[in-house]
Amino acid sequence: MQDVIRLAIKEAEALGAGDCEAYVATASESEVFIENNDLKQAKSQDSVALGVRVLANGSLGFYAVNSVSPDKVKQAATMAVKMARVSPRDKFNSLPSGRSKVAPLRGIYDKKAEAFEAGDAARLAAEMLQAAKSDSRVSVDSGNFTAALVRHWLGNSNGTLLSERLSAFSWSVMGMAIDGSDVSSFDVQSGSSHSVKGINVLSAADEFVHTVVNSLGARKIDSFNGEMLLTPAAAIELVEEAVEHSINSDSVQKKSSHFAGKLGRSIASPLLTIEDDATNPQGLAAASFDREGVAHRRNVVVEKGVLKKFLYNTYTARKDGVRSTGNASGSTTSPPSVAATNFIVAPGRQSLDSLVSEMKQGMMISRFSGNVNPVNGDFSGVVKGGRIIKNGELGHAVKEVMVAGNVFKCIKNLTGLSKERKVIHSSILPYMRFGGVSFTGG
Amino acid sequence: MLDALLSLVSSSRGTTYIEARYHLRAVSEINFVNGRLERVRMVENAGCGIRVLVDGCWGFSSTNNAAGLKDSLASAVSMARVLAGSKKHRVAGLAESKMVKGRFEAPVRGKLADVDIEEKVKVTKEAEAAARKNKVVKSASAIYRDMVDYKAIVNSDGAQVEIFDSKPEFNVTAIAKAGSQSATAHEGVGITGGWDDLFKKSHLDYAQAAADKAAKLLNAKYATGEKTTIILDPGMVGLLCHEAIGHTVEADFVLSGSVVKDKVGQKVASELVTLVDSGLSDISRNAAGTIGIDDEGVEAGRTPVIENGILKSFLHNRESAFAFDTPSTGNARAFTYSDEPLIRMRNTYIEPRSDRLDDIVKETKHGYLVKGARNGQADANGEFMFGAQEAYLIENGEMRELVRGASISGNAFDVLKSIDMVGNKFEYDIGTGYCGKYQPAKVDGGGPHIRCTAIIGGVQ
Repeated sequence: MQDVIRLAIKEAEALGAGDCEAYVATASESEVFIENNDLKQAKSQDSVALGVRVLANGSLGFYAVNSVSPDKVKQAATMAVKMARVSPRDKFNSLPSGRSKVAPLRGIYDKKAEAFEAGDAARLAAEMLQAAKSDSRVSVDSGNFTAALVRHWLGNSNGTLLSERLSAFSWSVMGMAIDGSDVSSFDVQSGSSHSVKGINVLSAADEFVHTVVNSLGARKIDSFNGEMLLTPAAAIELVEEAVEHSINSDSVQKKSSHFAGKLGRSIASPLLTIEDDATNPQGLAAASFDREGVAHRRNVVVEKGVLKKFLYNTYTARKDGVRSTGNASGSTTSPPSVAATNFIVAPGRQSLDSLVSEMKQGMMISRFSGNVNPVNGDFSGVVKGGRIIKNGELGHAVKEVMVAGNVFKCIKNLTGLSKERKVIHSSILPYMRFGGVSFTGG
Repeated sequence: MLDALLSLVSSSRGTTYIEARYHLRAVSEINFVNGRLERVRMVENAGCGIRVLVDGCWGFSSTNNAAGLKDSLASAVSMARVLAGSKKHRVAGLAESKMVKGRFEAPVRGKLADVDIEEKVKVTKEAEAAARKNKVVKSASAIYRDMVDYKAIVNSDGAQVEIFDSKPEFNVTAIAKAGSQSATAHEGVGITGGWDDLFKKSHLDYAQAAADKAAKLLNAKYATGEKTTIILDPGMVGLLCHEAIGHTVEADFVLSGSVVKDKVGQKVASELVTLVDSGLSDISRNAAGTIGIDDEGVEAGRTPVIENGILKSFLHNRESAFAFDTPSTGNARAFTYSDEPLIRMRNTYIEPRSDRLDDIVKETKHGYLVKGARNGQADANGEFMFGAQEAYLIENGEMRELVRGASISGNAFDVLKSIDMVGNKFEYDIGTGYCGKYQPAKVDGGGPHIRCTAIIGGVQ
């Protein structure tokens, strides 16, 4: 593959590109799907993909193709240069210097994954399904178990040439509980691991059963204003997306970040500390280098409520006169963008039970189905797997309840975080509790 | 390519069914943000997906290597065998269907391949700049994307299909700001067709509409959350059809226990409602979810789901159709060569009737007219939610002030039963969106304006 990268760079340079970057990824995956309470299909996939980015006089061109045959590599380089010729010039377009030292990251490749077979995936999917069906009221609509071996190579005309292997396992189970004519809300639970040892399909299944069964017997409620307790999954939907948008230097530069101009200032309750950390192997986004070949690092973004830094790739960093934070992101099919890697919220000191016991009137939410405007933070949507909390007691499930508010006000009104946390793909979050939220009953 | 697939399919031994699908997709995308070319890319993705049924178990394998089809077939067979030990209910059969031998060509005015990338860059750049001409718009973006597909599908039941598809889309976003207030608005179009079909209306008109909308929303108040009379615009009707009804009638989901499980032949909606999912572009041209033939080689025509309020049909692939003893409705779709076909919607809409929009508003004492579809989701129990960009308060038959966009929610079938007025002007308007179900799918939806009762989310 190193030859493929050298060929792409050589070809683009010969056609007049000043800078060229080639990114290659190969993947070997097996996946078993669950549908309608049974195994549905087993699937295998071997893929290879190349993305070529060129900069000619500051103008960008990008072409991707899922082949590394010499004629396709040449075609990709030629087309990328052709596109750069018609693109407007942008003086901030550049590649990383090539001087960034990249240390190998441990814990993202498990040699045992090489011996993992489709049959193992089928066995684990069946185990997860069986555990989910331990309660006869549960119906599993869909689910999957996926095992992937990935290798990626990145090279550029500044002399960078990197490669690493990753192994990844992920699983999910989705469905509802049915008791006569009573059908619960959907729930989905998932998990992931880089290592064979870290695979734990039973905990996802147990949590799924617990949530859907407790969503049965849902009742309508009257509107009220009170506290909101989010599960880690609901916090991803309701809080993480808007915060990720706002800590992204790209949003700041596009004037769409609520946090613009607020570095060093308090933007949230002192209870809140957020890290972006691709060097944490627990998260699925862990890797030693980013989409431009810059070394990943731990970035403390919010510390005790104070905004500490924005996340940068090489382009946005150059625009602000700072260094990349290692947040160039994307696959082989796109030029690098900027994105968070593993999004990690520091745990609180209280247990989940004690968070509930302190609530006078409020709602626990398993999932949020709605819209969050990441620019101004307004959200509005339906409570899913919601349960009423009164005087410290978790009560009945609710239906047809809408919740509306503002994410940025919510994080200032954060009143508690659990010490228990969950890893959901590239997010590591505790349960989060907020005050002063509007709930509208149907 | 068709010949290579024919020879592969006829060489297969020990499979009950085999389906081979070659798919070449070329994508172009241009995105301008605040005067800067944010992204320009072209992607070529080609390969073959092979699906087999062996002893009642499905196996699937995909490869980008045209020379490795035999190995890929062997791999698909071994995948199917992997399930033999733990699959409880074997696939009993696939519905007898008339297999298409022929081709589908998307009707195209202005072939996308003939439009130079330079022209695509220019149009996108101009639109983004035009959106920022409005003084309160502090940030804007314009995105152009197209997918040009060639597919060849052969299966052991006789399908021999070639598909030439063309799906471009264009969208402008404007963010207006003043002090700490901000408002976001989108205007766009997504179709099956060519460059001239896409830009029947000028790219600059979309830009101006997005900018005007964001500016108006900036000063708007929030809605008060309540259950009330809601008039949905065609895009919102499209979302209602797709999210609230369409997903609940996908037969794979029906089999897992959807709320409509035992309701075929029953009244599930107001008699004013005829709801259709169609692989063709009925009533109006260029609907984005048009496919003509599905990825199992079955003709994808018009499927009435609800006729005059009565539930008539679910949406099927051949496997679910066999289980329900009915013909496939041609809803099996795969997004790329490496995806297996799943039951997906196409163009989902409510048919128009006779009411004029003016009269619908005039006859509404209190409520909201909601416009501008955003995203949506549906739940197992029929509860749905979807977002609107704008909502106009209606008092005593008159449109009053604009309030900020909000989510609309309710129980799908309660809302369908509450429909008491159905407009006369039809439009598709969710063609810029994708539906997600393990893999994306380009879908569309629409209808006339309709009046119903639902919950509008807001502050208390």
